Amino acid sequence: MRHQLSLYLRLISIQLRSQMQFRVSFWTDVITTGLLNFSYFFSTYLVLQRFGSIAGWSVAEMAFLYGMIEISFGSMDMLFSGFDPDSFSRFIRQGLLDQVLLRPVSVALQIFGSAFVMRRLGRITQGALVLIFALVNLPVHWTPLKVGLLPVMWISQIAAMGALFMAGSTLTFWTVQRVEAINILTYGGVEVMSYPMTIYPRWLRGFFTYLIPFIFLNFYPALYILDKPDPLGLPAFSPFLAPLVGGVMLFLASRFWQVGLSHYQSTGT
Amino acid sequence: MRLFLHLIKLSILEQATYRTALVAGLVTNFFWGFFRAAVIVALYNGRSEVNGLTLEGALTYIAIGQAMIAFLSLFGTFDLMTTVYSGSIASDLIRPVPLFVLWMARDLGHSLVNLVVRGLLLLLFFALFYPVVMPESLLGWVWTILALAASWLVSYAWRFLVNLAAFWTPDARGIGRGAYALSQLASGFIIPLRLYPEWFSRLCHLTPFPAMFNTGVEVYLGVVSGSQLGWALGVQGMWFIVLVFLSQIILRAGIRKLVIQGG
Repeated sequence: MRHQLSLYLRLISIQLRSQMQFRVSFWTDVITTGLLNFSYFFSTYLVLQRFGSIAGWSVAEMAFLYGMIEISFGSMDMLFSGFDPDSFSRFIRQGLLDQVLLRPVSVALQIFGSAFVMRRLGRITQGALVLIFALVNLPVHWTPLKVGLLPVMWISQIAAMGALFMAGSTLTFWTVQRVEAINILTYGGVEVMSYPMTIYPRWLRGFFTYLIPFIFLNFYPALYILDKPDPLGLPAFSPFLAPLVGGVMLFLASRFWQVGLSHYQSTGT
Repeated sequence: MRLFLHLIKLSILEQATYRTALVAGLVTNFFWGFFRAAVIVALYNGRSEVNGLTLEGALTYIAIGQAMIAFLSLFGTFDLMTTVYSGSIASDLIRPVPLFVLWMARDLGHSLVNLVVRGLLLLLFFALFYPVVMPESLLGWVWTILALAASWLVSYAWRFLVNLAAFWTPDARGIGRGAYALSQLASGFIIPLRLYPEWFSRLCHLTPFPAMFNTGVEVYLGVVSGSQLGWALGVQGMWFIVLVFLSQIILRAGIRKLVIQGG
């Protein structure tokens, strides 16, 4: 285990060194990535100047939802860079996975170590700034449970979104081409979770409650932390389901990954 | 002109071969439309009109935005940049067609395929679930087509300009992303410009970006009408000319600097 960890860190440090080669373009990348993502919150912020609130959520409350999920998605996108279906499908197409299979180290570990996209820092930073803006402007009555819930949300969200990246990449074992529809769940998931879930039509909400239970990752914990009443009348433990959702999704995804890997046929390139 | 048309035809054929990608793009853009429409409905919260934009109008605005992502390349393009880095720009520069025109033909071919597959089909599907309004008269359609064509021209010229950054830095993608973030926000793609606070939409209208998207949609919706129509299209034309002019100056400076590594 320790050997694996040190190997992973070594792989990542190589990645970082190569990304830092062009320092100026690295930092412009970080900053512009941050700005790109921030422009979405900025437009929500502006539009709420006119409308006041959305489904009963003020700007600061929206900032909480947005900041949380952006930090998590940015972190996940960095950590699971290798499993990004866009880059992983290239791995398959170019036959690079064959090399990976030959090495005496776990395949998943190598994929984790194969990429670590540092410019996601930009996305994380803007998310963190928005979250700080939210916490400064919201009268949250902090309790130990609420404080503890924040890192739990973070880790659960990373696990759940990472699971989707992993599942998306696993699909390419069969399809070779990347499956773009998975973007609806990954990038679309961030979009969906950055708004109060009550705004979505019933069928869509049902989908995100029972099939891909995004609703418990961000919306319900936020209701609890911000002391907002539950408009949907789900059980009282709903705000605490995030780790279960994240854990189960990641578990299922890694099983799926194992199945996919055993079905892998090289493209021969 | 015949060469230009031929280039467009080649580009259409090229784009049309990527059928699965086209369908996947359509599906993604379509679902995203649902997410965004829900936000609009929640914002309106029972109001039937906000700042001259009805709820149906705003929903249609969103639908057109999703439908035009690929036609107007609203997320940006990086193709010209790539040729600067690979060196294949050298062979493009010795062609008997100006670089701006060459890429325009390539871009237009892709756009036209996307207009049909990801544009019109998306609008049709969307209309099954949400109210989508349409121009009421034939004349309305004519103005719409003109305004959307002008939007395309402005979008193309803007993207050409952004790509030229590749002449000065070894990785201009970051700059590109930043530039396209700005144009998405200020063009009205993220949220219809009319729904922003007055000061912000006025600020946007000082930039070329509304001419890339917002104007086309407002003409389609009939929000811009009568004597304003000529003015709106004039502004689009003005921005196109400004961007072309700017990009030609910058291109000339860039080429003077360009060194192609042999290979």
